[in-house]
Amino acid sequence: MRKLRIKRTVLAFLLLAGIAASAPSVQSDKLVVLQVQWVPQAQFAGYIMAREKGIFAAEGLDVDVRFSDENSSPITELFSGRADFCTAWLSQTLTLDRPVVNICQVIQKSTLMLVARKESGIRKPEDMNGRKVAIWGGDFSIQPLAFFRKYGIKPVIVPQSYNIDAFLVGACDVASAMYYNEFNKIYLSGVDQEDLVPFFYSDYGLNFPEDGIYCLRETQVNDPELCRKMRRAILKGWEYAFAHPGETLDVLMDYCAGYRVRTNRAQQKWMLEAIRQAVIFGSGEDPAGWGVLRKDDFLRVAEELIRQGFVKTVPTFEDFVKD
Amino acid sequence: MSRRSPTVKNPIVRRLILWIGLPLLVVYSVVAVTSYFQNKKASIDRMNAYLLELTSHHAAELDSRFGAISRTPAIVAETIEGMKALTEERLYDLMERRLAADPDLFGMSVSFEPYTLDPKRAAFSARVVRTPGGLEKVDSQADSGYGTADWYLIPKLLDGPYWTEPLFSAGGGNELSCSFSHPLRFKGKFVGIVTADISLAQLEKTLQAVDVFAGYAFIIGRSGTFIAYPNPDFVLRESPFSLAETLSRPDLRALGKDMIAGKQGIAALADFHTGEKNWLVYAPISATRWSFAAVIPEANVLAPVRAQLYRQIVLMVGGLFIILLGIVATSYGITNPLRKLTAFAGDISAGNLDVRIEGLKRRDEIQRLAEVFNQTVADLNQYIKDFTAATKAKEAVESELRIARQIQESLLPRVFPAFPERPEFDLYAKNEPAKDVAGDFYDFFFLDEDQLAVLIADVSGKGVPAALFMAVNRTLMKTVCQKGVGPAASIRAANEILSRDNDACMFTTMFLAVFNVKTGDLVYANAGHNPPYIVSRDRTIRVLPSMGDAFLGVDAEAAYHEGRARLDPGDLLVLYTDGVTEAVTPEGDFFGEERFVRRVTDHRDEDLASIWGRLSAELDDFQKGNRFDDITVVLLKRSE
Repeated sequence: MRKLRIKRTVLAFLLLAGIAASAPSVQSDKLVVLQVQWVPQAQFAGYIMAREKGIFAAEGLDVDVRFSDENSSPITELFSGRADFCTAWLSQTLTLDRPVVNICQVIQKSTLMLVARKESGIRKPEDMNGRKVAIWGGDFSIQPLAFFRKYGIKPVIVPQSYNIDAFLVGACDVASAMYYNEFNKIYLSGVDQEDLVPFFYSDYGLNFPEDGIYCLRETQVNDPELCRKMRRAILKGWEYAFAHPGETLDVLMDYCAGYRVRTNRAQQKWMLEAIRQAVIFGSGEDPAGWGVLRKDDFLRVAEELIRQGFVKTVPTFEDFVKD
Repeated sequence: MSRRSPTVKNPIVRRLILWIGLPLLVVYSVVAVTSYFQNKKASIDRMNAYLLELTSHHAAELDSRFGAISRTPAIVAETIEGMKALTEERLYDLMERRLAADPDLFGMSVSFEPYTLDPKRAAFSARVVRTPGGLEKVDSQADSGYGTADWYLIPKLLDGPYWTEPLFSAGGGNELSCSFSHPLRFKGKFVGIVTADISLAQLEKTLQAVDVFAGYAFIIGRSGTFIAYPNPDFVLRESPFSLAETLSRPDLRALGKDMIAGKQGIAALADFHTGEKNWLVYAPISATRWSFAAVIPEANVLAPVRAQLYRQIVLMVGGLFIILLGIVATSYGITNPLRKLTAFAGDISAGNLDVRIEGLKRRDEIQRLAEVFNQTVADLNQYIKDFTAATKAKEAVESELRIARQIQESLLPRVFPAFPERPEFDLYAKNEPAKDVAGDFYDFFFLDEDQLAVLIADVSGKGVPAALFMAVNRTLMKTVCQKGVGPAASIRAANEILSRDNDACMFTTMFLAVFNVKTGDLVYANAGHNPPYIVSRDRTIRVLPSMGDAFLGVDAEAAYHEGRARLDPGDLLVLYTDGVTEAVTPEGDFFGEERFVRRVTDHRDEDLASIWGRLSAELDDFQKGNRFDDITVVLLKRSE
């Protein structure tokens, strides 16, 4: 039932992009496509601001930030050649058939989480035993399954749609949420945070870095300078967005209106701050330390992927990370 | 004397306003304020009840519409559950018949759990939608993701019916729609979901038709999102909770919580956009767990309340104004005549007695007072006219009396020494009348070469009658004495004449002596007069005793006797009238003969005029200027 109007717009973009990006190798004066995972929202503020404020242009790049929906995937776009770069989770990019490289690890901390209502009596992981726990499919299920295994929990796992209505109406006891998104949507549906019990995977030894910037390995090999420029511009874009939240929100709300995203400023404001916390996690306020994929994070994710049987082997850290 | 006080310190009008107007104002104000709050509270209570009822009514109307729609999937589910041979065709047929029967529906679907309807099919969802071209079957094979869609998943998890949150349908343009999902069970086991889809396009129009005091209405969904709102940008984007954050308005969050909790109530609400004071009245739409709200500008709600209060205030102010007007008019009604009276009294004190108080045209105490004033002034005026006339008359009389006195004075010899060619004696006489015309008189004249007649008399009464009688007496005495028959005979003769025809019953005391200036012999007669004294050179005093003879003018037959005495050289004969001895102080002490004689004796060696001068001064001093009787003294001294 979730069919957004954005679909047609995106398709039109994709068509144009396909024509524009037909050449296998990307020159710096050519259009560079950055495909992000979802519709416009503060999760992508850094990229949007890098474009809007001419930060990409300052690096000599003409970057188009493209958005996705439930029917499109950044990795698909990347593999098809319609996108040169994309945002993706480490847990996804370590399981791919084709080699990709991480040129920038933007989000250092798991924002994926579980949330329960206090009134459900669930206070600790073990309390979820036998309770209805809603999790998203695909990559989103890796951390919860690792979590259940780690704590020896056997919940009743139920699927979850792209929102938290089921949780709000009590159809499940625990739901998955992105801290920057659904967790606040619960609040914006009239449930106070003190009535909720959050479970952050990072608090349970399961921190999975999330949004990173990826490209095909050949893109990096052919044009490492392009990758370095992208990385610099993207980090500067985030720096700008965090330093100018008001302006960034204005731009975001314009984007949301343009893409008919049904959101509100309060939600985007929360999201921008939550993303900021996840970006500076482990490195602090100084942008010089941002964007680095740490080896222990890499190994943790790789280990869990292998354990859960998603992959048998993973690339070496050195092959995978190029900055 | 001030004719008119320019300012009055404590005017009546002020006192009346202070003691009547002010208490009235206080009472009025208390009543008005009390009733204002009572009325306001009552009106607001009534308004609250009315608004709640009105809002509940609108909410109930919507509720019944959604309630009716929600029955359709239940019936379809029941029908399917009762089918013996369930085929795809029969499902479509069932849905098409329902859609034909219910124009409010724009679509229906029946979706099954994997491999339930057909063991070979992991997903099966049959769907019929209403299009402009008629009902249309939608091939559901491709749409395999419905298992995680809210419309399927949530009622499945809840194991009960569920209204989905509205969204903008992709197919039917940009049209807001929502679905009611009902679980489908085979033998009690969940096998799928039946939905009825409705457009909410009509919702906006329905809300626009809601007229609650020219306010607007909106609907929020079960998690607070605006489903219908005048500003389309809010729909499916904002909620009271998001606005609470963006606008920093915690009240909105509390309100949103109450609304999504299915409560009904009234809340004060500053407008999201303008900040204008509003009332928000809300009631639940139970079927969908939505909340209906009407937002009414407080001014609109309170308009009837205010109108009533304004009427009250106008009445109050008007009433008070009339009362104050009455007070001012009344007090001027009182003070104006008083001012006229004051001016009138001022005129009077300035001497204008011809004024009258006119034009009061009243029938009260003040009119009565004015009448008394007028009468008093008229009387006073008359009195003063009479008094003036009397004074003029008196002045005329007094003028005549002055002339009479001059005449009288000219009658008595008053040039001294009276006989400068006669060295044998000295003579001084003085008459000072109590009134302008004296009743006393004296006289002296030579009867021959050596015989000097000396007389002193006191006519009864005073003033003009006495003076006239005295004039007659004197002339008469002069006449009778000239006959040389001696003092007693002369007095007897005069008495005979005076007693006859004495209708006025006037009488006279008289002492008459004939003094031989050569020998010093003195022959005298006394008609009831004060006995004279003789003060000798050695200051011995002799009285010329009275012989008990009567006054002149009483008894024509009266007999008079003669006495004889002798003045030695240097002897002083003192004649006087009772005005001297009976001179009286304001305290009532008489001057007395003794004091008189002693004074004369003390100064007997002095000049006769000087003796009189001293005596006269002492008498004036004694009487403090109040003279009640004529004073007459005659002093005769035989030269040494």
